[in-house]
Amino acid sequence: MIGIVDYGLGNLTSVAGAVEKVGHEPVVTADPETLSWAEKLILPGVGAFGDGMANLRDRGLVEPLTNLVHGAGKPLLGICLGFQLIARSSREFGDHEGLGWIDAHVVRLTPDDPGLRVPHVGWNELHQARTCVLFDGVPDDALFYYVHSFHMEVDDDGLVVGRCPYGGPVVAAVQAGTVYAVQFHPEKSQQHGLTLLRNFLDKG
Amino acid sequence: MLRKRLITVLTFNNGTLFRTKLFQPDYRYTHNFVDAWSIDEIVILDVTRPGQGERRNFLDVVTRFAHDCFVPLAVGGGIRSLDDVRELMAAGADKVVVNTGAVERPDLITEIARQYGSQCVVLSIDARRNDDGYEVVSHFASRPTGHDPAEWAVRGEALGAGEVLVTSVERDGALQGYDLALARHVAEAVTIPVLILGGAGSWKHFADGFAAGASAACTQNIYHFTESAIASAKKYLAKQGVPVRI
Repeated sequence: MIGIVDYGLGNLTSVAGAVEKVGHEPVVTADPETLSWAEKLILPGVGAFGDGMANLRDRGLVEPLTNLVHGAGKPLLGICLGFQLIARSSREFGDHEGLGWIDAHVVRLTPDDPGLRVPHVGWNELHQARTCVLFDGVPDDALFYYVHSFHMEVDDDGLVVGRCPYGGPVVAAVQAGTVYAVQFHPEKSQQHGLTLLRNFLDKG
Repeated sequence: MLRKRLITVLTFNNGTLFRTKLFQPDYRYTHNFVDAWSIDEIVILDVTRPGQGERRNFLDVVTRFAHDCFVPLAVGGGIRSLDDVRELMAAGADKVVVNTGAVERPDLITEIARQYGSQCVVLSIDARRNDDGYEVVSHFASRPTGHDPAEWAVRGEALGAGEVLVTSVERDGALQGYDLALARHVAEAVTIPVLILGGAGSWKHFADGFAAGASAACTQNIYHFTESAIASAKKYLAKQGVPVRI
């Protein structure tokens, strides 16, 4: 059973649908007990960082998730906002504290080319900076669907496994032990997205 | 490099797929399907006139579509409140498209953006040519609003819209090409991505639209969009130097 963390933000239906598509049983829940029984966790989410953390706190999920994932090493895949929430902090609409599982900070996208629009919406490359089990069978520079206005700056370059070019390199995928997180939406990135998701669920 | 997107827009009347010409139903092409494996994104709109059908029928369509849709799915038509948005998100929408609801009550854009993020709100603007340039029309293009589409787009961006979809009413179903002046007018005014709709009839029209500043070219003339047609359009665009996802 794969636990999809429901903290009231984002399209959980499509994440659950993609998990099912690659042969696993998704359970969408905000119950820490149920999440503790899951083999693996997915932290999805779209929306604002501050709301995301507030919702996790309101549902009493910050501590259980931190214990399960950061402490006990249960594999987790963060997607989009779920990717950003594992950082220490964000400057999206004020200063917000994140889950702090990796030394990283979330700041506004400021592409060096003024012709590039924000939000960054659409299909862009995933350049594989390091070997990562998520990328098995995914060609380098395969296209994934991105949609975000903020991006993550990671202190330890060694955690960055994938980048995407958008007016300079943008961190697109990180791995810290059993914590995996991606800025793009694998559940909306057709065959490569499904492959990546399957890799996490089967091998992550 | 970010790719230019090709988006299929599907309109539903009381749960039945059809296309429009000059904003009126035209049922000739209902049997076609969307090739979900080469299209970059799908927009589905409920264009059922008030009192002419059941919302449930449309929600069923969204649920069916979303189940096997592994590209982004934007859904619109008749959205007036956060409750309407919640219903569509629960049915599997990734983004919502607001038009008349935002004209009537611009704060709707902000409410959705606060709850779901800007990336979730597409402001759809229907524009008609007039003596001074262009005017935004609402209520299925039946009511003039007095707004200039570029000004309304700028305001929409400030209110929290993440993308703008600009439709030329005169070009709807005309197959003679996008209204490029309209595309440029809006694309130059905002910093968020601009999607254009209305008038595409050949692959060259897509290239023209991208050159005018569009981030995505939309079409609802699904007659052209069989499996090989999308691939063929993208091959053409790649040859023209337009970055597309093949």
